[in-house]
Amino acid sequence: MPQTVSPRLRRKETISAYLFLLPSLVFFLGFVVFPMVLCIVTSFFDANMNANKPDVFIGLANYVELWQDKVFLKALVNTIIIVLVSVPVVCVFSLWVASAIYRMKEGPLSFFRVVFYLPVVTGSVAVTVVWKWMYNNYYGIFNYLLKGAGLIEKNINWLGDPKYALACIIIILLTTSVGQPIVLYVSALSNVDNSLVEAAEVDGATNMQCFWRIKWPQIMPTTLYILVITTINSFQCFALIQLLTSGGPNYATETVMYYIYYTAFKLYRFGYGNAMGVILAIFIAVLSAVQFRLAKES
Amino acid sequence: MKKILALVMALCMIFALAACGQSAAPAAPAATEAPAEEAPAEEAAVASSISLWTYPVGGYGSEETVKAITDAFTAETGIEVTVEYLTYADGDDKVNTALTAGQAPDLIMEGPERLVSNWGANGYMVDISDMFDDTDKSEINAAALAACFAPDGAAYEYPLVMTAHCMAVNLNALKEAGADQYVDLESHTWTTEQFAEAVKALYAKFGGTVGAVYCGGQGGDQGTRALVNNYYGGTFTNAEHTAYTWDDAKNIQALKTLYDMEGIDFDAAIVGGDEIANFYNGVFKMAFCWNIAQQLNPNSAGTGEGKTLNGDDIVFMAFPSEDGVANLQGGIWGLGVFDNGDAAKIEAAKTFIKWMCDSEHTPEAVRASNFFAARSAAEGVDLSGVWADNEIMNEYTKLMPMLGDYYQVTTGWAAARTAWWNMLQQVGASDGSEDAIAAAVAEFCGQANAQ
Amino acid sequence: MSKRNGESRAYRIFSVVVLIFLAFLFIFPLYWILTGALKTPAAINSATPEWVPSELTLRNFQVLFSKRSAPLFQLGALVGPTVPAAIRWLINTVFMAVMAMILTCFTASMAGYALAKKRFLGRYLLFSLIVAAMALPKQVILIPLIREMSALGLYDNIWAVILPTVGWPFGVFLMKQFSEGIPGEMLEAARIDGASEAKTFFSIVVPMIKPGIGALAIFTFINSWNDYFMQLIMLTSSSNLTISLGIATMQAENSTDYGLIMAGAALAAVPIIIVFLVFQKYFTRGITMGAVKG
Repeated sequence: MPQTVSPRLRRKETISAYLFLLPSLVFFLGFVVFPMVLCIVTSFFDANMNANKPDVFIGLANYVELWQDKVFLKALVNTIIIVLVSVPVVCVFSLWVASAIYRMKEGPLSFFRVVFYLPVVTGSVAVTVVWKWMYNNYYGIFNYLLKGAGLIEKNINWLGDPKYALACIIIILLTTSVGQPIVLYVSALSNVDNSLVEAAEVDGATNMQCFWRIKWPQIMPTTLYILVITTINSFQCFALIQLLTSGGPNYATETVMYYIYYTAFKLYRFGYGNAMGVILAIFIAVLSAVQFRLAKES
Repeated sequence: MKKILALVMALCMIFALAACGQSAAPAAPAATEAPAEEAPAEEAAVASSISLWTYPVGGYGSEETVKAITDAFTAETGIEVTVEYLTYADGDDKVNTALTAGQAPDLIMEGPERLVSNWGANGYMVDISDMFDDTDKSEINAAALAACFAPDGAAYEYPLVMTAHCMAVNLNALKEAGADQYVDLESHTWTTEQFAEAVKALYAKFGGTVGAVYCGGQGGDQGTRALVNNYYGGTFTNAEHTAYTWDDAKNIQALKTLYDMEGIDFDAAIVGGDEIANFYNGVFKMAFCWNIAQQLNPNSAGTGEGKTLNGDDIVFMAFPSEDGVANLQGGIWGLGVFDNGDAAKIEAAKTFIKWMCDSEHTPEAVRASNFFAARSAAEGVDLSGVWADNEIMNEYTKLMPMLGDYYQVTTGWAAARTAWWNMLQQVGASDGSEDAIAAAVAEFCGQANAQ
Repeated sequence: MSKRNGESRAYRIFSVVVLIFLAFLFIFPLYWILTGALKTPAAINSATPEWVPSELTLRNFQVLFSKRSAPLFQLGALVGPTVPAAIRWLINTVFMAVMAMILTCFTASMAGYALAKKRFLGRYLLFSLIVAAMALPKQVILIPLIREMSALGLYDNIWAVILPTVGWPFGVFLMKQFSEGIPGEMLEAARIDGASEAKTFFSIVVPMIKPGIGALAIFTFINSWNDYFMQLIMLTSSSNLTISLGIATMQAENSTDYGLIMAGAALAAVPIIIVFLVFQKYFTRGITMGAVKG
């Protein structure tokens, strides 16, 4: 604070700020924070679906059990893999596409922008139907092409093989994630101050040097923003897993998000499911904190 | 500042108005509530409207079919029935969320594994044992009757129809492979040995996957269970339905044999519905997820009774067993009542059950399902001739005596089903050694018993 | 020309080839849905893919429109005529997406402005809470949310899907990013002129963050249209379903009518793609400005 503000003015400012925030807070507190608090409370209970069995307070027992549940641990690892793989890949991929198209004429440029955005708009439910067919073991397009090209001899059961299933899910997730980052990078790149680039070229800087010294710092804010939205996106892969693999084969695509749902509605263990939710929320909060610390530092 | 306040107020009002407008919108529940609340004024009143959720039990997935029945019921009794159609893919989740929200329907149509051992055991269903008198008990098929009762004597389902789940083979493919000698078209049965020979011949002729042990989850587990259990005569649960026994050595041996058999593949990427689609389009030569409704309209594609997409003949078969006499998995479907704490609704729901399952309307209700009646007669109406005019149905009755124990009422059934799929997935992903299979079986059978 | 950024010709040809290949991959799902919707059951069930449909049919849409029916609208005792349920589902979906969009834009632009430009008690705490909650998958709060909606009498009501969508704080975050770019001097000048807070907001702030509001509007619309999970757990009656949910309920026992699914997927996707194509200019402009300023 550069100058001291009178308490009266500060109070006035606070009141007006909260009036502006009020409508939003009603929804945010009512439908996100409040359920989250309930979730934390329930996680200390042995809550279930049985109408005749009251919930019993069991302290931290659900949490203790979590660390011995190998499916949960597997789900946690898979969730981390999805985030750690998809976030950098989306960033690099969309940066590459953007740098390849941003100097094109308006026509092709907006064509590619729209094309890469299509899977986002089409929606995962519809897109999933087609991908399921493309991955099909018996007559899917991938086996058809790979076999035709002589790269594989025997059909690969993409979604049915624990070795490939998670990668297959991540690929679909990528196609539904890169749309916005590409749009963002295209405009960030076209906003880069060209005189700096030209000056560097005159000084004999290579392509790579130009990129890292001049362009990269200028598109840094965009990159950070993309990191944030891609991370959000990676946690929303529920529909893909529910519609394609139900967490299988052999838990290869089990994620915490799906396992919460499964625990609640297949095993009817609400308290246990909520405990997982709490762990996941903590994990996400830490991840967000790290990202924003990064953002502040640059 | 005042303006902001005014704005906020305006927003709240718009929101409230919109909310009112909308909450009035789902007139179905709202309208049904009103008379229901007045109802308790009269003693033992019958509500004027009820809601029914039905799984796609044969023809009961079709609005046209169901509406004809409920309209007739409404015309006769004055009770309106609002019907919602569930699928096997998300139906359980819908019912479970509705139960969590305290908004379950009044009536539900499915089988004992859900009605009795899941929602009934969890305290959500009304005990309707008072609806079964001695005549009913003598008319209803004994296995079906037993399955509708919980161990404590409460009844949570009133049975309507039943069938035996079986498997199917592509007859043209068998003939082409010179393997039609292994199937008995008269009795629709075969031995394990004949089955193995047929698979071998089909594999030699066509390569690829002859039949798939699908295990992607969701529906159709009855097919894989029956296949594995029948192969060497293993069991799934004990006779008392108190514990899962699928870890017996015979099942492990069966899984090993199936794993090693060329042409039979464990496929975790497909579910029962995909298997049927693959059989229908000729990729698979056998389907393990079959029943009479499938035989009448394969893949629900409406392109001909008992024919694949290419017009090949489909023959339904019992599952192979060592002596050729299979223990088939039954499907028993009927109606149950959710306890919504409203006596008038419960009364109306029972009226509907009686009308459907035990009255002169029962033949109609049975025919709508494409399955067989779960009882011999209903209030003096003989039900044995319901399908007298249908050749395929008549042929199919040959399988009915092979109906085995209905063990889907064992405690923790919902969890056991998923454990079964996970086990098949693990077996499929393993190296196929006896140890690996035994370990998978032991692990998941243990999981099922732990619930 | 060739010297610009020193990219070799070979590299540029390579990248165009890769781009075209990728374009095919990204367009293909949509192409397959649209053609699949018009294929005969025989073609769609066939094990050898029919790349270009040899015979077009409306059969799938006929089945889609005849399989379920629902009243066109229900307002209190007023019940509309019975129509194919798919039409009602489309209406529900549009209503849901539009309401979510309006409410989100309205609440988020006000809140974003306050967070960016006002210094008040609890600002840091609130912003941290928003950031932490942004990536939270809805599965985490699934069970409490169902119970809450039930207590509010909103279970099986389209509002049960709309309200949590509006509560999702990403919009607030986005609008905060935009509002950061408003020069403080302009606000100060308005204050000195004696403009009220509301006037300042509507006459200065809103025009400046308009592109951002536009982007948020399209973004929310698409997201809520496609948010399958919330719809799945909150809606049950066939007259309250959304289009993607409705399609899912049309499958028969243990079998899959792919033609029907494709027709449904097409019906769910085409309106939103049209919306996107029409507004894509505003969209790209909007999302760009906010992010670059971060």
